[in-house]
Amino acid sequence: MKRSILAIASVIVLLGACKKDKDNNSTTTTEDFITLKQTVLTDFTNKVAVAGYKDLDDASVALYSSLDALNANASETNLNTARTAWKNMRTVWEQCEGFLFGPVEDNDYDPNMDTWPTDYVQMDSLLASANPLEVSDIQNATLSLRGFHPIEYILFGNHGDRTAASITARQRKYMMSLATDLKATCHALYLSWTAAPENFADKVKTAGNGSDKYAKKQEVYLAIVESITAICEEVGEGKMKEPFDAKDPAIVESPYSGNSIADFKNNIIGLQNVYMGKYKEDGKGINELVALRNKALDNKIQSQIAAAISSFDNVTSYFEVAIINQRTQVQIVMDNLAALRTTLDEELKPFIIQNITD
Amino acid sequence: MKKLKLILGVAFVSAAFTMCRKAEQFSEEGYDERLSGGLATVFDETSKAFSHAMAGLSANDQHAHDLGDAAFEQTFVTAPAPMFGGLGPVFNNVSCISCHHNDGKGTPTAGAVNSSLLFRISTSGNNEFGGPAGMDGYGGQIQDVAIFGKQPEAQIQITYTDEVVTYADGTQVTLRKPVYTMQNAYVAMTGNYSLSPRLAPPVFGLGLLENIPESTIVSFADEGDADGDGISGRPNYVYNAQRKQKELGRFGLKANTPTVITQVAGAYHQDMGITSSIFTKESSWGQLQMDDKADDPELPDSILHAVAFYVRSLAVPARRDVNNAEVKRGKELFVQMNCAACHKPVVQTGVDVTFPAISNQRIQPYTDLLLHDMGEGLADNYNDFLANGREWRTAPLWGIGLFEKTNGTPYYLHDGRARTMEEAILWHGGEAERSKTKFVQLSKTDRQAVLKFLKSL
Repeated sequence: MKRSILAIASVIVLLGACKKDKDNNSTTTTEDFITLKQTVLTDFTNKVAVAGYKDLDDASVALYSSLDALNANASETNLNTARTAWKNMRTVWEQCEGFLFGPVEDNDYDPNMDTWPTDYVQMDSLLASANPLEVSDIQNATLSLRGFHPIEYILFGNHGDRTAASITARQRKYMMSLATDLKATCHALYLSWTAAPENFADKVKTAGNGSDKYAKKQEVYLAIVESITAICEEVGEGKMKEPFDAKDPAIVESPYSGNSIADFKNNIIGLQNVYMGKYKEDGKGINELVALRNKALDNKIQSQIAAAISSFDNVTSYFEVAIINQRTQVQIVMDNLAALRTTLDEELKPFIIQNITD
Repeated sequence: MKKLKLILGVAFVSAAFTMCRKAEQFSEEGYDERLSGGLATVFDETSKAFSHAMAGLSANDQHAHDLGDAAFEQTFVTAPAPMFGGLGPVFNNVSCISCHHNDGKGTPTAGAVNSSLLFRISTSGNNEFGGPAGMDGYGGQIQDVAIFGKQPEAQIQITYTDEVVTYADGTQVTLRKPVYTMQNAYVAMTGNYSLSPRLAPPVFGLGLLENIPESTIVSFADEGDADGDGISGRPNYVYNAQRKQKELGRFGLKANTPTVITQVAGAYHQDMGITSSIFTKESSWGQLQMDDKADDPELPDSILHAVAFYVRSLAVPARRDVNNAEVKRGKELFVQMNCAACHKPVVQTGVDVTFPAISNQRIQPYTDLLLHDMGEGLADNYNDFLANGREWRTAPLWGIGLFEKTNGTPYYLHDGRARTMEEAILWHGGEAERSKTKFVQLSKTDRQAVLKFLKSL
């Protein structure tokens, strides 16, 4: 899933680099650093992760309500509201993908809601059958019949060619059960961080201090850095590069709504949220830890993140079109992401190993 | 400048002297114990520890690895589909990653979206290739999921009964013994059969294991137990469906598969219902639910080869805490109890000039890749080529200390019955009975040291 060229070399380099540091640190900054190490974990947990999952939980309720309204009255207005609710929820989810570790991967919440592609053949058979399409039927169905993308297909058709009147009664029933299932998944994800028995937020915040998941703070910091590196690679070298190399619009994710570029950009905004420790509310981020010991590295990471995010705006067509006729702009985004990934993997990760040892 | 020239001069002269010396045996202390995969080791102890490409791949190889990575994660759908079609009609799961969670070991449930446990089924007979005969109407594996409109072949109900082990110091460990029951079979079963549970194992480091010379593996065997240590060990010889010949088995939980590519093609075929150039007929071929679409092979060769290369080029995670005194003590005990007789700490791979990362590497897989009688407690009474119903292949232990990171909740052994490494040790029997007994007789402190050592792998 992830490449790590020079992994061994970077460990050796950082051993050699240990010396320099102490000369630069006054006692105050050392104390600041120690305090900050804990604050960053607390803020990441409360202000980024839990806040993000709370928003996702709320957004799934909003999507459900909008679909409920559409189900009761198939007007174009209600369809538009539902599409907006779907995109809003997508924004939150894609940003939460900036930290895909913990229950979201351990309990398979991710594939339960975000499996692609949609299985048209099975969907058609399912809709044409006498299956009651209750929530339990959906929850027993294969992954490619669940989650965001079948709802997207029903709401948007191809690039928004769906009309409210053309959504069949069976599709509406299916859509409501999908939304209920999605709501349940998002709520379970939120509870996995905030409530017993799992209470993952506690495991992160108490890392190196009683956490049964992370014996050292370094472990959870590495998990966080690994997760932002992974999403950077996933977007630049997976979601974008595969259709780009193949020049094949058929393998682009989120094609029904034309939302792919927004999805990718939100993934990287999610990465930025994690690094800066802020989502809606300001917190202390990894950036401040890095800045205390290596200002140049922090500047570099921040500017590379900003460059990557803004370069998405130059891709003005749907992504599945851009891979054919805006190849230069797409290539620039992928180059920016590759540069950022290299910095995260070869400079930020060694920085963490060197500076957070407890 | 002058100084630099002088230094260079000295360096040159000393290099020249060094070059004149004959090669010497490199001492054991000269190796870095952390490098479990030799050059193909990666330093990561997070949930992604099993998911890294080996360092130093060429741009072309890296591209193949990335394509394989994407395909490994790809959900397949029912045919006809523009991309990734061919799933089913009956299957166990929809993608490689669905079972091999984070490229690691899976979850011991069956038939659910996150399940990683499958069941082979056979009469006691053999097929024309010397492998298990399977069952009429079912083939060699129970596919417990089906596409819409078809029926899962059966469901397996899993229940556990507890068994308590008590150490001399009074400490108790509860083991859980699984009972598997077939339910809702889609056609009636006639005659006797055995079920063999198989939990998806980790997939990293397979290029290294594939590159261990056959002669090395065979040299570990001691079929008649000539040295009298209670441990025999023998190679499995199995049918290679690609090369159509009998070869040494290395992969699969009974060493029932010869190569990575046949393992990958076999998994697409049996676990996902996807045909390839190696397995050209549907897994349901000749059965009531066979699809009669003329779309085989469903998997392009390019994807098959990319996925095989992906798993061959996944790096091995480095060990942690190798200089910790308790870990060192644990390792000594591991050797003293003769665990290392099967879980071989050090093996040298063969030379492969086309793939430097796996070529001539000193690796620490903690396996001999041989079959061993593991006793009645672990027996499945299912024959797989030469492997009998009590035999299993020695599981590689590299990376085992990271299962709780890669899997959230870790599970151990061939069917995931063990929830801790301690439970896994206590399940050992047969050829491992003496080693297990020695472990049980250790003091609590020493038992902890052994577990701490395993945690460092």
